[in-house]
Parts: sequence; C-alpha cells; structure tokens
Amino acid sequence: MDTFNALLSGFAVALSLQNLMWGFLGVTLGTAVGVLPGVGPALTIALLLPATAKLDPTGALIMFAGIYYGAMFGGSTTSILLNTPGESATIVTAMEGNLMAKRGRAGPALATSAIGSFVAGTIATILLTVMAPVIVDLALKFGPAEYFSVMVLAFTTVSAVLGASPARGLASLFFGLMIGLIGLDSQTGQARLAMGVPELLDGIDVVVVAVGLFAVGETLYIATYFNRESDQLEKMKGTIWMSRSDWKRSWKPWLRGTALGFPFGTIPAGGAEIPTFLSYAIEKKLTKHPEEFGKGAIEGVAGPEAANNASATGTLVPLLTLGLPTTATAAIILAAFQQWGLQPGPLLFETQPALIWGLIASMYIGNVILLILNLPLVGIWVKLLEIPRPLLYAGILIFATLGAYGLRNSWFDLALLYVVGLIGFLMRRYDIPVAPVLVGMILGPLAEQQFRRALAISQGDLTIFLRQPISATVLAITALVLIGPPIWRRMSARRAAGAPAAKG
Amino acid sequence: MTTRARIHPGELAISLGLVALGSFVIYETQNIAETQGYAQIGPRLFPYLIGVGLALCGAVLGWEALSGGWRHVPLDDAHQEPDWMAFAIISAGVILHMVIIGWAGFILASILLFVLVARGFGSRKPVRDAIIATILAFVVFFLFTKGLGLTLPKGPFEGVF
Repeated sequence: MDTFNALLSGFAVALSLQNLMWGFLGVTLGTAVGVLPGVGPALTIALLLPATAKLDPTGALIMFAGIYYGAMFGGSTTSILLNTPGESATIVTAMEGNLMAKRGRAGPALATSAIGSFVAGTIATILLTVMAPVIVDLALKFGPAEYFSVMVLAFTTVSAVLGASPARGLASLFFGLMIGLIGLDSQTGQARLAMGVPELLDGIDVVVVAVGLFAVGETLYIATYFNRESDQLEKMKGTIWMSRSDWKRSWKPWLRGTALGFPFGTIPAGGAEIPTFLSYAIEKKLTKHPEEFGKGAIEGVAGPEAANNASATGTLVPLLTLGLPTTATAAIILAAFQQWGLQPGPLLFETQPALIWGLIASMYIGNVILLILNLPLVGIWVKLLEIPRPLLYAGILIFATLGAYGLRNSWFDLALLYVVGLIGFLMRRYDIPVAPVLVGMILGPLAEQQFRRALAISQGDLTIFLRQPISATVLAITALVLIGPPIWRRMSARRAAGAPAAKG
Repeated sequence: MTTRARIHPGELAISLGLVALGSFVIYETQNIAETQGYAQIGPRLFPYLIGVGLALCGAVLGWEALSGGWRHVPLDDAHQEPDWMAFAIISAGVILHMVIIGWAGFILASILLFVLVARGFGSRKPVRDAIIATILAFVVFFLFTKGLGLTLPKGPFEGVF
C-alpha cells in the first residue's frame, strides 16, 4: 500500500499548524470569492501570485487549491440567493436553486448544495488519490513526443470542442499562444515579438493577462452592458436543514453528479459547464417529481452542484500528474508552481512527495472545513451579497491595479493591464471564450519546448509523433474529437431534416 | 429577441484585426535570426505556425461575419443599448491611476480610481465612496507592504510612515 503510506505522510504535512492555517485561509478566501459575483478563483490566485513568491510553496499551493475548490462551494450560495451565478460553473444551480429560494426553500437548497459539494469533493479527492499514482506510472514512460501530443490534445479540447464556436475558441487559443511567445526564446535566448520594447523582453506576466481579462475586462463589460437592472436578493427564511424527503431525493443526484463531473474534469476537456448541464438533464429525466422542475426541484440543485465540485477536483488529476491545465484556474495554478521553479508532472511525485501528497491530503481537510463554513455559517457569506455593486467593482479594480503594479512598480504593466482589459471587454461582448488565452499562454511555451526536444531526439524526423504508440494514439484521439462533433452534428441535422419529409 | 443584421461590422472588424495580428506575427518572425544549435528546430517555427493560425481563424470568422454573422452567438438585448458613459468613466479611472501612481503614490491613486469606478457604476454618493476608498486604500497598502513585503510608492506620505 504505497499510496496509503504516501497519503499518511501527506496528512502529516497537511496537519502541521502552518499548513492547516494556509488551507483554512484558502478555503475561506475561496468561499468569499465564490460568493462575490465578478470575482473568481482564477483572478484571486493570479492576484496572490506576486505576494506569495517568497513563501513556502507547500503552504501557498495548499491555499491556492483551497481557493479553487472553495469557490465552487461559495458560488452556489450566490446562484441560489441572487440568480446571478457567482461562478460560471454554477449557472445551472442558479436555475432550480433560485426558484427554490423564491418559494421560501432557500435553506434546503443551500444545504443540499453544501452537503452535495462535500460528498462530491471528498469522493473526487479519494479518486484523485487512487488514480494519480497509476497515471504517474504511465506518464513516467512519456518522452517529449508524448508530452507534446497530450498538450495538443488539451489545446484542442479546451478551445475547439467545448464552447459555442470552434473558430472563436481557436482564435482565443492562438492569441494566448502568441502572448506566450513574447519575450526571450527559452532555448536560444533570442527576443521574439518584443518589438524593441525592453519591458517585453521578460515576456508578459500571467498576472497582467489574467487580471486584465477577468477584472478590468469584466468590470468594463458589466458596467457598459449590465448595470441597469438591480439584483433581487432572496431572503433566507425558515430552516436551513433538509427534511427526510429532501435527503432521500438528494443522495442519488449527489452520487450521479460526482460520477459525471469527475471524469469530465480528468480528461483534458476542462470546464464544469458540460457535466453540470448533463447532470441537470439526467436528474430532470430520472426524477419522480417532474412537475417540480422549472419551479425549484431539489434534484436540479443537488446533481449539478456535486458535478461542478467533482469536476474541479478532477481537473487536478491532469494538472498534478501531467502538468496539463485544462481550465483557466488550473493554468494559473500551473503558473504558481512555475514561480518556485517546480514543474507538475510525474517527476514531482518523486522529487517533492511531501508537497504533492501534502496538497492532496489538505483537500480532505479542506472539504470538511468548507462544509462547516458553508452550512452553519452560511449567514456570514450572505452578508457579502449586500455589498452594493459600485463599491464591489471599485474594490476589485483597486486589487487588480495593485496586482499589476506590484510586479515591478512600472506604469508599463498598468498600460498593458488596460489594453488586455479592452481585449477582454471585446471578448466578452463578442462571446469569445477567455480560458483558452490563459491555457495557450502558459502551456504554449512548454509545448514548444517538448516539440523541439522531440525533434532533437529524432534528428528532425517529424514522424516521431506518429511512430511512438502512445503519442500516435493521443493524436488520433485529438483528430477524432476535432472532426467527430461537426460530422455528428451534420448527420443528426440531416436526420432531423429527413424525418418530417418521411412523415409527409 | 432582436434580429441580426446580415453583415455585422463589429464582428468583421475583430476578424480583420485577427488577420492583421497574424500577419504582423509572421512579419516580425522574419526578424528572428535562425540559429539551430543542437536542436533541429529554431525559434522561428512556432511563431510562424501561430501567426498562420491567427490569420486563419480571422479569415474563417471574417467569412462568418459576412455570411449572416458569427455562428451560435447568444442574442442579448442588453447589447442593444451600451452605456458608453460608464465605459469612459471607468477607463478614465484606470488611465489616470496609471498616470499619477508614480508621483501621487498608491493610496491617492487608488482613492481616485475607486471613486471613478463607483461613479461609472452609477453611484451618486461620492463622499461615501471617498471615505470607503480611503479606508480600503490604507488597509491594502499596509497589508501588502508591511504584511507581504511588496514595495509600493507612498507619494506625499513619503517619510510620514
């Protein structure tokens, strides 16, 4: 039982007073930013990057992971009480959950999402614990060619497969890859795309890009287009506890949601939107109370909430074992590893077992803390929703500009921040996804490095990517996910067009 | 629901911008000296690929914009009446903050930014905003300089604390 021993020593790390404190701070911050509309885990972690560079990586990473999955807990509170998703992954919760709150059942809605998140988070962490060593064993056989192929798969799924439009997703990805190019080439030390600007030789910092897109761009977008109607905050009435029938109707959706969310997080397909929507559709089909759907059915809250939490934890599997980020937040956590010179992947399990297993163990503890923070103490977080919107966004911009300026005390970074903010504004306005920018920017340079290494080994022979069995398989899957969905869509469209004709 | 015009100028402009950006990347890449070293691939290949990718995406999106608009764009009525005044006020806040932070210091620049952003969001209570901004700016300043070891410009408070 190597894994078990590794996990036990991980608990020894995670239970040290200092790391417990970081974990507690992380999940508390995570809940807060999850609750606050307009602030997400990606933005929060990006803002904390410069300030944590001198800290012990284990503690800081425990805090970052806590922010990530803590935000999934907190996001549901906003969705239920405000009908504005606190997090994009909690859009579905906003539908049934808010309707429950309108009928005076805010308490059970909050309870089923908090307990469901806990169940899903804990099961997903167990699965992470069991799966990570298996994937690490496989990944140890990876050479540069395999890594490059897996990264291409991640690029494809993150940009082209998910989301409304492959063209817009890929445009976003290439834009991110371009940002990643700026600065000195890691192998030859030559300046690329720096245009003679000395500030650009160091490259564009991920903090500026993340904060520009998520804080400045988002603020401009909300102020310009969505500042007319005011939000309706539902009151918390009655009991917070769930009745016997609530429990009976919740536990199966929790488990089904977990079963959907975890694999979606694990495969390099990122994002919790798809599994939460799938979970909602399945619960709607399986429920014994179909009449309640559309009026506030507890199953429609329990399932999707479990799914988004399981998927967030699932995202850490490719991140920790292969160094592959598949969401914006995971990309920023990868950037966090890099600021201490650490590269997540199979080797990190051997060189830094205390860090990796301490991080995994901290997630078991974090989920318990989150259950307490989000169930008995939910009233505190509701107070955050009463902050008037002008003050909330004004505060967000104070932190945003601080994050960019604090990097090297240069107005240049603030100018860059505003330019990225304008781009983020346009991306929101024209429905271009932003996550691929971050994944491309952070993963792009690593992919290029692996590509060049692979070709150095093969002496310039490009077929190396197809001759290695693992690499070839991964590339075949990539081709399949890229061309499969459009063909399938066209065929089903033809079938739909053909059906009425056959009837007539 | 709103109907979409056949040719969407904003979408076309962004598409052309992507083509221009891609072309620029390809053009700039020619200035990178091709040194191979021990690797077979120099520093030029990826910039070329990325430039081509950007231009291609721009071309596809441009074609979509000309033939009925981008595909699968959610129609949002809010997009019909943008509040450009709010946009201008918040932009002014961010730009002014950038201009003055060097000599006015973090605290004063942040207070100005806070008041302007709140105004952009429709706040009509500048005094309340300024008081909250002052408290927040001081707390954040001390938290990040004394607590987390960041260096921030003090402006007129230089030597005061």
